[in-house]
Amino acid sequence: MRWLLSFLLLGLLSIVQALSSSGNKLLVILEDAAEKGKYSKYFADLEGRGFELTYESPKNEKLGLFELGERAFDHLLILPPKSKGLGPQLTPKLLLEFINAGGNILLTLSASHPTPSTLISLLLELDIHLPTDRNSLVVDHYNHDTLTSSEKHDVILVPRPDSIRPDVKNFFKGTEQGGEVIAFPRAIGQILGNDSPLLTPILRAPRTAYSYNTKDDVEGVEDPFGVGPQLSLITTMQARNSARFTVVGSSEVFENSWFDGKVKRSIGLGGSGAQTKETKTSNQEFAKEVTGWTFNEIGVLKVGKIEHYLNEGGVQSNITNPKIYRVKNDVTYNIELSEYFWDKWVPFTPPPRDSLQLEFSMLSPFHRLVLAPLTRTASSTIYTTSFKLPDQHGIFNFKVNYKRPFLSNIEEKNTVTVRHFAHDEWPRSWVISGAWPWIAGIGVTITGWVAFVALWLWSKPVPLRLTTSGKKIQ
Amino acid sequence: MRFLRSIVPSLLLASSGIVEAASSWNVDEAIISVSGKGAAGTGFKDKLSDHVPLSNPVALGESDTLKIILTATEDGRAKRPHQAFLLLRDQDSGLETTIPFSMKESGKGKVDFTQKDLPVQLLTSSQPLRATLLLASFGSAQGFSNHVFNLDVQKDANTPAPKYEKPLRYGKLEEIHHIFKADPTSPPKIISIFFALAVLATIPVLLGSWAFLGANLSHLAKATSAAPVSHSLFFGSIVSMEGIFFLYYYNWSLFQMLPVAGVIGLVAFLSGSKALSEVQERRLAGDR
Repeated sequence: MRWLLSFLLLGLLSIVQALSSSGNKLLVILEDAAEKGKYSKYFADLEGRGFELTYESPKNEKLGLFELGERAFDHLLILPPKSKGLGPQLTPKLLLEFINAGGNILLTLSASHPTPSTLISLLLELDIHLPTDRNSLVVDHYNHDTLTSSEKHDVILVPRPDSIRPDVKNFFKGTEQGGEVIAFPRAIGQILGNDSPLLTPILRAPRTAYSYNTKDDVEGVEDPFGVGPQLSLITTMQARNSARFTVVGSSEVFENSWFDGKVKRSIGLGGSGAQTKETKTSNQEFAKEVTGWTFNEIGVLKVGKIEHYLNEGGVQSNITNPKIYRVKNDVTYNIELSEYFWDKWVPFTPPPRDSLQLEFSMLSPFHRLVLAPLTRTASSTIYTTSFKLPDQHGIFNFKVNYKRPFLSNIEEKNTVTVRHFAHDEWPRSWVISGAWPWIAGIGVTITGWVAFVALWLWSKPVPLRLTTSGKKIQ
Repeated sequence: MRFLRSIVPSLLLASSGIVEAASSWNVDEAIISVSGKGAAGTGFKDKLSDHVPLSNPVALGESDTLKIILTATEDGRAKRPHQAFLLLRDQDSGLETTIPFSMKESGKGKVDFTQKDLPVQLLTSSQPLRATLLLASFGSAQGFSNHVFNLDVQKDANTPAPKYEKPLRYGKLEEIHHIFKADPTSPPKIISIFFALAVLATIPVLLGSWAFLGANLSHLAKATSAAPVSHSLFFGSIVSMEGIFFLYYYNWSLFQMLPVAGVIGLVAFLSGSKALSEVQERRLAGDR
């Protein structure tokens, strides 16, 4: 009986291990059911994290991404097919509709199988450029694995990536101990268009790598498709509805043989690394991070409650979220943010050089202020700022618009009315020093009037006397 | 005998290691030259070394062409490498562009480019661009990768700097603090005080001049003995009307003030007619 109980406990524990924040139905597209064995460790990792895997071939007619207008699956993993296309159930239009409906897609390519032209045009629509010829391969004569590709140099060894920008969170840096390598065999490099802010590369090719056509450029390459960090090996696109689309240049990164393979670096730039030993690849951990990001297990943000209230003269008002304020009121705004980390919501902190900003705007922002953390609960951080409303009346919005690479989008808008000063809220005239002569004048007039009335009622007329020159004097 | 047999495989291994390390790519007779438009032969020309970069940066003007001719060698024999690139790196931002050589089968290769061939992001660097030469190919030979010279991109003082608009990227934006309109101000208080005192000074002047002209309250006793209620009510209502005006100025609202003013006004009217008829009597009696 005891073994049954511990078995049950183990089963329950594995469910609690990790869970995507947006559902766990994962559809895996692989053409050849025999290939399941090659990726068995990867699929076991996914199932251990709570995903429900369904395996389908692209040729299956009954395959449907949508059921009665709703998404039938939450996530999609596409392994490269050998045939020319992905079938009628996975057209680019349907894949884009899947993303627009909030589904995440992890697409893997391979230099060993020609990429279907429908996929090339789908990625072009997202501004990800693939080589138009079907025979391209990324090689690196300075950063390859000498154990498996000492001649062909097509297994590239890449270190863990740095942050894309100093103010962007890096979810893919591993244990940060240094010396970690990721094996990238037979990859297709991508070039990203410069205009789109939605594209972010996770892993870029090393400085000396380049992509060439294996059929045409056998002797030497004079017009490579892309060189060095301009080639992106893993590209991500996060749509404006926070749905995620990741393109991995090589499906072999997820294979069992590379999950615990041993590699030996070649001699790098300037003769470095001539005496390196064999090291283990970090493909399994890296695959977990890339898949975790794509399937909403990390990097997902959530807004808790939003409160704004009047804070005039240091006295906090009891009424939260009033609909109307007055010009030049002192107002405090609080917002609660959480971040999803594998299986639970944790307090969110923006990266060190980044900051969360509040905009108080009518048609354009009148204020854009930094939100500072106020308190921290078990699962969220509350950010706050206090400021004076502008001296313009109208309909204003409290806007928090936080969109960053690798974090889901936050757009919160609260509308309030800002009214003018009421007639009795202006400063009184005795406070205005320029009015004092006029107030004095009023007092003088009143005094003169009352004195006149008294004199008129109760004075006795005084007779006039005349001087010798005829003038009237008293 | 057994000892010899055991060290033979390790000796073989060591010798194979030495043989492997010797295979590497190198560059031979690399000549770099910069020539201006039409001014053949008067440009810069130098030989590139395979182990040390040029000490001075190479200048590339607006209309100049930079040309490099070299021969690639593997283990001393001229051979065509698969990868023959010249990398140019911006030292400020780390951006690097690549210019591939056009190679012949014999291993001889050349590259030439002008400022127009460089991406606009590299033309606005504050330091010279760092040029690295890469020669490598498939197989076990170690590739050649050396910093060979620095490129100083010289812009013409007359032509405007190339425009580069940064594309939109998500990140934090600049802080905005609303600039409030200035509060209405008053002139210096001393001026207000001076004029207020000047205005207040007219009261003693007024009362004084009335006194000089013979103002008096002599009939007060006569009036109050004749009609005490009406005179006191009338004068009282005049004064309290002023009081109501003051209260309305201070903090009363219109609807608080109007009923009271109505009552006081009625009192003034009724008592006033009596008081003024008393005054009329004094006038008819010749006192006024």
